[in-house]
Amino acid sequence: MLRPDWLTIDPAGPVTIGPRTLPGRIWTASGCFGYGLQGHDILGADGNSVLNGLGAVVTKTVTQNPRAGNPPPRIWDAGAGALNSIGLENVGLERFLEDVVPRLHAMGIPFVVSLAGTRPDEFGVMTRRLAFVAGSLPEWHGVELNLSCPNVAEGGVDFGRDPDMVRACTEAAAAHVTDRMLLAKLTPNSARIAPLAKAAANGGAHGITAINTLVGMDIDLMTGQPVLPRRRGGYSGPAILPVALAKVDEIVQETGLPVVGVGGIRSAGDALKFFAVGAVAVQIGTAQMDDPFTASRTAAELGWRSPDIRNQ
Amino acid sequence: MASDATAPTVPPVRSLIGVIAEQRFLSSSMIRIDLDLEGDASYAPGQFCMINLVGGAALSLSRPLSILAANGTRLSLLYKIVGVGTRLLADALPGRKVRVLTPLGTPFPARNNERPRLLLAGGVGLPPLVSWAQRYGDPADLFCFGARDGADAPWELLPSPWHVSVDRSREIPDGREAHRGTVLDLALDCLTGRTETFEVLACGPRPLLQAAAEFAHQRGWLCHVSVEERMGCGYGVCRGCVVPTIGDIGWRLACQDGPVLPAADLDWKSFGMAPASEEGSR
Repeated sequence: MLRPDWLTIDPAGPVTIGPRTLPGRIWTASGCFGYGLQGHDILGADGNSVLNGLGAVVTKTVTQNPRAGNPPPRIWDAGAGALNSIGLENVGLERFLEDVVPRLHAMGIPFVVSLAGTRPDEFGVMTRRLAFVAGSLPEWHGVELNLSCPNVAEGGVDFGRDPDMVRACTEAAAAHVTDRMLLAKLTPNSARIAPLAKAAANGGAHGITAINTLVGMDIDLMTGQPVLPRRRGGYSGPAILPVALAKVDEIVQETGLPVVGVGGIRSAGDALKFFAVGAVAVQIGTAQMDDPFTASRTAAELGWRSPDIRNQ
Repeated sequence: MASDATAPTVPPVRSLIGVIAEQRFLSSSMIRIDLDLEGDASYAPGQFCMINLVGGAALSLSRPLSILAANGTRLSLLYKIVGVGTRLLADALPGRKVRVLTPLGTPFPARNNERPRLLLAGGVGLPPLVSWAQRYGDPADLFCFGARDGADAPWELLPSPWHVSVDRSREIPDGREAHRGTVLDLALDCLTGRTETFEVLACGPRPLLQAAAEFAHQRGWLCHVSVEERMGCGYGVCRGCVVPTIGDIGWRLACQDGPVLPAADLDWKSFGMAPASEEGSR
């Protein structure tokens, strides 16, 4: 299959968002590929690497202080998608800067840091600290503000549904990332996403990542109880692709902002659907857990599908 | 616990495509699946793989299954139908394409001293210990397996010197014996007259692991257990399969730090209470 006629971008080429140019349009999504440090030792059948062709790894969300996360079970295959309730378990910003960032730098992995906070000023403090430590590293491309985690009591979905709060958080971070890309990752769990995207842009975001997980739930029929101890969790995977496309479409149509599309992508064909509605890049999440080569294979397939552009 | 156990050399993790060669019930509930992979299937006893079907109906997330055996590019797994994932796998016909990520996780320690081992396996927790026994087993070791009844036991995997216990003593094949009671009752019986210090290796349902850990602790024996948790990725990125450990370590991942963990490191108070997972054999 050759490159579709309607495609106006090179899906295998670099992408510029705000002040930053990233080496590719296929990224891994936050929370589904750790800090980007695992999986490198996995051998593909033809000797390829899980990182081949990737534009960036978006790290697992980092918070100011370490978080233990939620009690198990934390993950459940609900048929057409996965339910999770990890609860932003992470090592905290200081250990992340000390242990993880130098390794990403040493390995030459392009990365975007996902940050979550409970108050706008926390986003500012964290972004300033990150910029201070990682500011000289060429691999660090920017920040993605997680304004939409469904699995935490504070600073999660409810908070991300308020345009004023979205704007305040974005503003606090924007002050400290002048030469790096600032993205706001928004929740689909609101009737309309475009007003949230506008609020983020007004706060200084260069682009929008859409979408985070849908709030979901499943019941274990053996017990009649919810499968997750916190009852509801985040629903992701193939089932949410049409929802994600609709939300990306809404943002692009109504705001014209650069959008990084995420939700249910498993293949090059899925990624092309997001490019068709105007996304400038895509992220691969749940499918990366199922198969660590999904993102690199998608990038390779999209390169193969657009030889005319690549050879220019 | 200070352990003098050493992990065996672990082969590199590979992502491989393969086809289902055969699926066969070895007992009323346990299915052996043989896969022909496009590459080397080697592993260390106690390791597992993540498996998913390729093309057509596939699962959103791969499932963790225990490795029973490998020979060249042939990989053999043992599982039980407990949910939609294992049901879909069981319905797949020979020739169906699969993708596996293998071998994953920390295996049982290799034999590195003269102490005899006590192997305690329950239900579908059998494969890692069958495989350990084949690679490292010694005549001084004791091999104990527990099943619900005779029909539930995969007898062809349990040649002498495996001892078998059952909750109900029905459907025991001619020429075989089964002890009535738990696998720990069986172990106590087998240990009569033995005065050596054993090391315990256990794999099975959570109550069995907890009983094995207590059993070993009371005697001052080293004990390693293989924990069974719901997994998202199997290679350490999703942090879905956490198990509570004591001290400052906090959570550990069943997929990477485990599935085999020193029993003394686990926080049995919360681990023993938490609901056990029901799908997958890990």
